[in-house]
Amino acid sequence: MSEKPGRERKPKALGIILTFVAVAIGVAVVAILFHAQTYTSPVGTQVAKSVGTVTVNGQTLQHVTLAFNTYPDASGSVDGQAIHPGGNPSWPSYGPTNQFQVPAHALVTVTMRQYDSGGSLNNPWFATVRGTVGSVARINGRLVHAVNPNNVGHTFTVRGAPGTDPGFFVNVPLPAVPGNNQSDNGQYETVIFSFVSGSQGVYGWNCEYPCGTSVAGFGGPMSAFGYMSGFLHVV
Amino acid sequence: MTTAAAPALLEDTQLSSRAGGLYRHQNIVTGLIGGIGLGAIGWALSHQFLQGSNWGTDMVVTVTMAGWVIGLLLGIGAFNAPVLWMLGHDQTHEDELYLAGVGQGPRRYWKFCTDHKVVGVQYLIAVFTIFGVGGTLAMMIRTQLVSAHSSFLGANAYNAIVSVHGMAMIVATIIMVTGPFGNFIVPIMVGAKDMAFPRLNALSFWLLFAAVPPLLATFVLGGVDAGWTTYAPLSVQAPPAMDAFAITILTFAVSVTLSGINIIVTVLTMRAEGMTLNRLPIFTWGAVIGSALGLYAMPAFMVGMVMMITDRVSGTSFFVAAVGGSGWLWENIFWIMGHPEVYVILIPPVAAMLEVVSTFARKPIFAYKVTVGAFIAIIALSIMVWAHHMFTTGWAPDLNGPFMLTTELISIPTGIIFLCVIGTLWRGSIWTRLPMYWAYLFLWNFIIGGVTGIYLSDVPADNYFHGDMFVTAHFHYTLLGGAMIAAVAAFCYWFPKVSGRMLNERIGKVAFWMVAIGIQITYFGMFWEGFEGMPRRVAYYDPIFLHANQMATVGAYLLMAGFVVLLYAIIHSWVHGRPAPANPWHAKSLEWMVPTPVPLENFLVEPVVTADPYGYGEPEPAAPAAEPEREPVPVGSAETTAGEPV
Amino acid sequence: MSSDLAVKTREPDPLPPEKAPFFSRPSGKIFLIWLAMTVVGVLIGFYAPHHLLPTMLSVEGRAVWATVVLLTVLAAPVAAFVYGVGFYSLVAWRQRGYGQSDEPPPDGPPLRGNSGLTILWLVVSGVLVVVMLVWGLAELASENATHPNSLQVDVTGQQWLWTFSYPGAGNLETRSLVLPDNRTIVFHVTSEDVTHGFWPVELGVQVDANPNVVTTIQATTNKLGAFTVRCSQLCGLYHSFMYASGAVVTPQAFAVWLHAHGASALTASDVARVSSSS
Repeated sequence: MSEKPGRERKPKALGIILTFVAVAIGVAVVAILFHAQTYTSPVGTQVAKSVGTVTVNGQTLQHVTLAFNTYPDASGSVDGQAIHPGGNPSWPSYGPTNQFQVPAHALVTVTMRQYDSGGSLNNPWFATVRGTVGSVARINGRLVHAVNPNNVGHTFTVRGAPGTDPGFFVNVPLPAVPGNNQSDNGQYETVIFSFVSGSQGVYGWNCEYPCGTSVAGFGGPMSAFGYMSGFLHVV
Repeated sequence: MTTAAAPALLEDTQLSSRAGGLYRHQNIVTGLIGGIGLGAIGWALSHQFLQGSNWGTDMVVTVTMAGWVIGLLLGIGAFNAPVLWMLGHDQTHEDELYLAGVGQGPRRYWKFCTDHKVVGVQYLIAVFTIFGVGGTLAMMIRTQLVSAHSSFLGANAYNAIVSVHGMAMIVATIIMVTGPFGNFIVPIMVGAKDMAFPRLNALSFWLLFAAVPPLLATFVLGGVDAGWTTYAPLSVQAPPAMDAFAITILTFAVSVTLSGINIIVTVLTMRAEGMTLNRLPIFTWGAVIGSALGLYAMPAFMVGMVMMITDRVSGTSFFVAAVGGSGWLWENIFWIMGHPEVYVILIPPVAAMLEVVSTFARKPIFAYKVTVGAFIAIIALSIMVWAHHMFTTGWAPDLNGPFMLTTELISIPTGIIFLCVIGTLWRGSIWTRLPMYWAYLFLWNFIIGGVTGIYLSDVPADNYFHGDMFVTAHFHYTLLGGAMIAAVAAFCYWFPKVSGRMLNERIGKVAFWMVAIGIQITYFGMFWEGFEGMPRRVAYYDPIFLHANQMATVGAYLLMAGFVVLLYAIIHSWVHGRPAPANPWHAKSLEWMVPTPVPLENFLVEPVVTADPYGYGEPEPAAPAAEPEREPVPVGSAETTAGEPV
Repeated sequence: MSSDLAVKTREPDPLPPEKAPFFSRPSGKIFLIWLAMTVVGVLIGFYAPHHLLPTMLSVEGRAVWATVVLLTVLAAPVAAFVYGVGFYSLVAWRQRGYGQSDEPPPDGPPLRGNSGLTILWLVVSGVLVVVMLVWGLAELASENATHPNSLQVDVTGQQWLWTFSYPGAGNLETRSLVLPDNRTIVFHVTSEDVTHGFWPVELGVQVDANPNVVTTIQATTNKLGAFTVRCSQLCGLYHSFMYASGAVVTPQAFAVWLHAHGASALTASDVARVSSSS
């Protein structure tokens, strides 16, 4: 009795347990990858179009253009270009993508249509155009330094990942279209601005108008990658 | 015993085909059906009636997850007996035997089973599973951080993984010793037939089981982006995943509370004759003291999470400053739970490791009573130190001095634990079997964790290191390098009793060296990051931290590989290992005096204790009766009552 | 199984006779190990912070450095003692030949405690705690002392950017933090949304930015150089992007910088003013 061996545990029973462990871990990994997949842009990266060169201060820079818009929702109801038609179709969204690629030290001209209504910024500092050429933006054909901080639809605010060019910063407020609700009546504000891109690296952009959910307005689309945030890859 | 037909081996008893009633048809499958079913019903109803409201999605997720938890418990049969009682019926003795798993073989591990040894093994598998998930997530984190601006995960998934890695590891470490060994070993150690409340015991395990899927579900509900500390108001504006996270914590806190009550009552009321408090094995003290602290800590977490849910679901504003609440309120509630909680994690494994040190140094535990006193002093102080996590929040700068005092005071009783370990090693006969390897590793790591903790307790230094990778490295050194390594020592020590097999020490030692070296590389990398000033929980970092991060990642892979090798050793031994004798370590506490495998109700004869289990090198205490032929039960400190038939 | 019952005590006590010279006794050897490891610990204490911490630009930053050194020096003897006994036990008292054996080595001596040693241990750790505490409180007091002529800076955290404003200079609001040398700076920190952690790394101080509350922290600059403001509190999606650059400059340069940015508060790199080419 003293040498009685352990109960003959069938390897099969243990096999079931281990299968269970493995399945649990597998489910977790698949869930994570699924999750990660959900939040990467489904459309891919918009590579800036080269339109020649331009001379700035005696320096010759490559001149490229980007074109993207902001929409009151992600359903594609305006022009079919909202980026998350399958995700949360009611969330405001940039489109057609949230990832852009521009060359380093080039003059980048961005043409945007802003379709969304809006309101007051959390911090009026973002109502001023910063970091663009001349610190101005051409809004509906008019050059402006700043917009009314209480009538902003979104902002396009770019800064680098830690360790990238600290001098490269762009903030362009996008004025709201009239209307209290998220309107998708097709009205839009045209915003055009140019900036000189920084050195190579990953730069993140996001919107600083609290267009999301919850108290400070930064929940939902503001905190989920791809709707009101994205990357500017400088290569 | 050589002749014994073992009348008490209840496993062989034939029960009537009606024994157990409804339980006969209930197992994990009906549990899952119940959980998914009630969850689906909850989803359908709340989706129908609540989706349109302001907090619709949060409401739906909360109701669905609560439905899952209740449905699982219903389906597995947790509420059968209470319902019977309410109807004026009771269960028969046969029903109770069925419930304890009599005559069901391995199937009982998949059921609501009241046998404390079955619950212990269930906990063990659950701990492995959760560590597996948490470890996998850690590898993903380290992979993201292998380069400064990696696109492996992206910020969303990274934050979600950081949160779940933290919570999964906290869940697993809280239960890693009190769950498996508090249930399997403690009742035998004190000479009890089972836990004081076997049904609550089963309930506490299945509550834990129910708590894990909502945690994993956070990944598909948008991800918790606020870390496991879920600081408000970020957590209030987090995606619906936060609701599932809250349900996890509520369920888990109930589980830990029930399990803690059970352990405390068992040790206080069910000790064998002669098992005075002075003779309690130190692990029993550790399990009781840790559980008692859990009873203090966990309710705070529950209260906080209820407030969090109401903030999110019904628009209260406990934690939202913009509408009258305060984020500091959450931080206080959280850390009132959070700091005691690290001692809930730490004390049981450390106490278990002291058993290992005593057994493998072949010496009594040094300064036993002082060490027990130190444990009590630690938990007493630990409830007064929480605001050291808030030195830099600006909440109450005037209290920084007092909290620095209590925090630094706690290093005095913690130092006593080191005195106990080195006092026990002093002039010992060091028997270098695998459990002792891990005990030495604990000693190495925990000193580093302790010393780096001193920097953080000092406010001026914390003003630099707070929220920094230095903190991450520090608490991994204490919780992984200290608590978890001590738990591995305890696991290797009790593995022969739990599995009936000897652990393969050759593979185990390979795993040991991989883990030991992996820990040092990983967390020295993180200390380096911390000194240089890298904040915690960042998905992208300044390239100046690149080399430190690569060092940490390499170490982390080695560490994980070491644990995988250890898992292989465990599985291999569990299936093919050498059968274990009843007392492979020639130790003296009661759990080694019972046969392996341990029969239902543990003791063939009720033990009588005449000495504490640390009489190494001492003459045997005067045995009441000579017992030349009867072996192996009981020897050492346990004695049969004279004249009782065996 | 009879071995279970037998009490075996190790036959020859490994302790040499009392007359043996100190350094051939275990306590003497452990003393030597302790001494060596203490020296190593102290050296690490002086080396590691000096080489790993960034160059600190403030009095408080120097205090971080000094505190780390002091605490390492205090902790080194304690850690060395525990390590010393641990290593020595492995080397000297390991029972060779038993590593693979199912039979345990003979029992060690039944030492159940030593109240003198316990009290000594408590007294030593108590003294160390008091030293640490006095040091910490003194540092704390000096960091909280009020200074005349301090520069007030308002810090605003929002997801996921810092902005700084200088109330003494017409509320000039900027994205980078420029500070004069040899001046006490009082930061008034708040947040527009969630909790952030304001951490000018090389100034060695930090405080959380909480919504609807202003918290303060001060630092006295004493060295010129660039530093980085990071966010030390997980604040959501772009937490890792939330940083700002800063510099400690001479008071004259600071005055020039304030003047230059005072009017339009533009922080763009001075790109030539070309008209929008579109």
